[in-house]
Amino acid sequence: MIGHIFNIQKFSLHDGPGIRTTIFFKGCNLRCSWCANPESQQMRSQLTLDREKCAGCGSCAALCPSEARVMTDAYPVLDSEACTLCGRCVEACPSRAIGREGNDMTVEEVLREALKDAAFYQQSGGGVTFSGGEPLLQQEFATSLARSLHENGVPVAIETAAAVPSERFRAFLREVDYVHVDLKHYDSARHRAGTGMENEQIIENICAVRDSGLPYLVRIPVIPGFNASLEDAEGFAGLLASIGVGRVQLLPFHQLGERKYSLLGREYAHAGQPQLHREDLKQYQQIMLRHGLDALL
Amino acid sequence: MEHFGTSTRRIQKFRSALLNIEPAVCTERAVLATRAYREHEMDQVVLKRAYMLREVLENMTIYIEPETLIVGNQASENRAAPIFPEYAMDWVIRELDDFDRRTGERFTISEENKQVLRDIYPYWKGRTLQDKAYAAYPEQAKRIYDLGIIRNEGNITSGDAHLAVDYDSVLRKGLKDVRRRAQEALDKLNLADYESMKHSFFYRAILIVIDAVERYARRYADLAGELAESATEERAAELREIERICRKVPMEPAHSFHEALQSVWFLHVILQIESNGHSLSFGRFDQFCYPYYRNSLDEGADPAYLEELLENLWLKSLTVSKIRSAGHSRFQAGNPMYQNVTIGGQTADGRDAVNELSWAVLRSVARVRMPQPNLTVRYFSGMSREFMAECIECIRLGFGMPAFNNDEIIIKSLTDRGVTLEDARNYAAIGCVEVGVPGKWGYRCTGMSYLNFPKTLMTALNDGVDVNTGKKICQGSSHFRDMESFEDVMKAWDATARQLIRVGVTLDNCADLVVEQEVPDILCSALVDDCIARGKHLKEGGAHYDIISQLQVGVANLGDSLAAIKKLVYDEGRISRDELWNALMTDYEGADGERIRRMLLDAPKFGNDDDYVDQLLVRAYDTYLDEIRHYRNTRDGRGPIGGGYFAGTSSVAANVPQGAGTCATPDGRKWGDALAEGCSPAHSMDQNGPTSVFKSLSKLRTDQIFGGVLLNQKVTPALLEREEDRVKLQLLIRTFFDVLHGWHVQYNVVSRETLLDAQRHPEKHQDLIVRVAGYSAFFNVLSPQTQNDIIARTEQQF
Repeated sequence: MIGHIFNIQKFSLHDGPGIRTTIFFKGCNLRCSWCANPESQQMRSQLTLDREKCAGCGSCAALCPSEARVMTDAYPVLDSEACTLCGRCVEACPSRAIGREGNDMTVEEVLREALKDAAFYQQSGGGVTFSGGEPLLQQEFATSLARSLHENGVPVAIETAAAVPSERFRAFLREVDYVHVDLKHYDSARHRAGTGMENEQIIENICAVRDSGLPYLVRIPVIPGFNASLEDAEGFAGLLASIGVGRVQLLPFHQLGERKYSLLGREYAHAGQPQLHREDLKQYQQIMLRHGLDALL
Repeated sequence: MEHFGTSTRRIQKFRSALLNIEPAVCTERAVLATRAYREHEMDQVVLKRAYMLREVLENMTIYIEPETLIVGNQASENRAAPIFPEYAMDWVIRELDDFDRRTGERFTISEENKQVLRDIYPYWKGRTLQDKAYAAYPEQAKRIYDLGIIRNEGNITSGDAHLAVDYDSVLRKGLKDVRRRAQEALDKLNLADYESMKHSFFYRAILIVIDAVERYARRYADLAGELAESATEERAAELREIERICRKVPMEPAHSFHEALQSVWFLHVILQIESNGHSLSFGRFDQFCYPYYRNSLDEGADPAYLEELLENLWLKSLTVSKIRSAGHSRFQAGNPMYQNVTIGGQTADGRDAVNELSWAVLRSVARVRMPQPNLTVRYFSGMSREFMAECIECIRLGFGMPAFNNDEIIIKSLTDRGVTLEDARNYAAIGCVEVGVPGKWGYRCTGMSYLNFPKTLMTALNDGVDVNTGKKICQGSSHFRDMESFEDVMKAWDATARQLIRVGVTLDNCADLVVEQEVPDILCSALVDDCIARGKHLKEGGAHYDIISQLQVGVANLGDSLAAIKKLVYDEGRISRDELWNALMTDYEGADGERIRRMLLDAPKFGNDDDYVDQLLVRAYDTYLDEIRHYRNTRDGRGPIGGGYFAGTSSVAANVPQGAGTCATPDGRKWGDALAEGCSPAHSMDQNGPTSVFKSLSKLRTDQIFGGVLLNQKVTPALLEREEDRVKLQLLIRTFFDVLHGWHVQYNVVSRETLLDAQRHPEKHQDLIVRVAGYSAFFNVLSPQTQNDIIARTEQQF
């Protein structure tokens, strides 16, 4: 079985208990405007181009066997339909401007890499976290990988946006030991505006997590202009209280993924916007605490 | 940072006074030593050395700084570097006019003092350790030394040191007990017996230096008494206490903590007057000083005052200095003395040895935050979480301390080599990472000659000819262009490395022979078992244990080079042998060279938990481990347990100058670039995070490289901000030590300057990862604005 993976990050500290390895699954069904991993959205592998490095020499276009590369004035343009991802341009680029996002890997390959840090999981109470993208879009692969990890005594956590059908979601909860689930907005229409989808399904799935008996954490990425006002804090607090979620983590908006948009040749809605820091969310947190919500920063 | 509180005003004043000093060169010792040598030309060398030390201790300038409670100075001013003419003078005279023009390790010197040194130079010409050792080098060894392929300049221009003497016994029994033992041994000798007659000179020398130490301490007592006359009431009381203590220690046993620290400092500073060897270490400070700390506490001393005394001692350790030749300074960047203080670890019966004094030492070092002393915490699986957490708080301050050495592997390595379990459990770090048993181990548990691994590989590929100079230095097997298989490469490496290891040992033994003949250290020997019992100084085989290590430099570059050759040339055939050789010889010139270099850079690199390269390095390193076992040092069979050599990588800053003289290498490294430090991955090549680095390191035969498996790691301040992350860092380190048998790790907190440099030169900092909650990214892919944001939030620690 093949999974589409774009990164395997060792020594992850904030994706569940202990020291973990995070497996980033490629492919997502949300389109959050602030997404810090835009390369995660499309399931198929992609080539990137660093325009700051590109010398415009045209050697990529010259040797592309599928003629997917065409030189414009300064940069080679890629016809991603025609590109077969053969990787020759990646290797040939004298300026190292071309990169590749995404690898097709077998369960065994991912497992082998993940088990390299088994000693650290064991000593620290850590394990492996599936993140993305949306791991549940490759549910069969994720299930198989989770089972293999469990056979090797490695606990599995998932980070999900939970925008998938309930039945599938519930089925997958049986495969994991810990759940991080994101909630981007309490208001369905605004959720749709920011992510492309309504939030009803997500809320239903959060309830399923709540009822599953698994340890879990709901996380809110706090994005200026989207859900960062103090009224928004009230809104989230109200919704979470109504569904009996007592604990939430606030993730201040950051720009660590900003440059990736230009590498992918995409526009970025939040370009140049300053990052938020923990101290910027103190009041936001206070409001939640006042509502009896254990809000972590 | 507020976690450790602030120093008292006295300490702050002393600290800033020391920081404001422009280090000078002091000529007093040079003049006094020359005088003693001239007067005692006819005496046996051990006596000559004793008279020399006596002459210096009796006549050197002494002073008591206005802030200090602990007295004893090495030179005529704090941080001034004495000249030790008996070791080497040529470079001193040659570089006299450049001392104050150096860009680093700069020293001022007056015209008058230059003349003083020029005046004594004729006496020393041809008589120094360096002159005689160099003259003794056999022809092939000399050639290889001259070409810089094996370096041991430090061994023939300095004393040895690299040990911790038996301060414990001095504190318990007083130096008078050493005098008694030497006197008794002397009295028992039958001088008609040849061996006994030889020993008698050594015993007489010990008696001379102990008298001299006693008088040196009394000079301070007298001075303190004098100063008390005109001091403020408060200071006068302090000075009278100093006077009282100096009349008591180090001759008598110590009782109070102040007495213990003064006693240790007197000996520590005198040993650094006797010889200019560096890495003179304190040993297990929290263990042997604990009874006196306890005495003072029990008698009602304020713990804060006892910590002030500790800080005072650390500041005194900063007053000691050393000037090295410009060439050698590059190997020792930052003018370090490596006076190591070891705390933690386990007791003789295997229990957690951390006590209140361990905590006090850690706190006081954290408050002083100076490059001296070098603080090592012996990690032990039974160490409490709280103490580890306190260590991590100290690491947060960003001055690289403490370093951790791992009991879980080191103790067994020591017992495997014949050290008793009790002694092994009492090991201390010496200098930086290397280890020895305090008071029982001879000099240089590490620090003999440096073997440059990548340069050795290039010589192997070049049929035994040094690439830089075109000179034949050893027997070759063939040229890389004719090596049909990767096995041919490995065979050439093996054959070449073995020849050069043999030359390294030859150089070391030559240096040791001449050190033994010319510059034995009397006081130092008197404070190490079993010198008095055997009637031999350290270099004659006086030490209980004597096993030494050489240093291997560019370890990771060797593995990375072999992996690149194997993968690209032999496995995949993407680069031909001619192409690679040509690229190396032209330093990757031209577009084609650059293309080849890129491919080489993309090959597997040590530090990423990739067996392909890690196992190749293990295999290549095995050549060294196998060959070095066959050699014996000059004390073998003369008394000590051991008598052999082992491997070590505590090469300090040598990776930079060693790299400067190394041609382009097949790992993609360009001509002149620095080599990898110690056993750390090559710079910027570990891109998989710390767990992978630890895994790669753990594949090396760390139990056999017990001259130190040096690993420097960096950590961004953000990772240390939250308690929960610090706990995870602790678990990371514990896993490395408990499960993976890591040897050593030291953390440098990434500074603002590094981040700024990474912004300007992203290619040099490809391994720099920043982490925020739930996300991490390589620093060099962030937008300038985000980079600036992170830089702005990285505190200036100094």
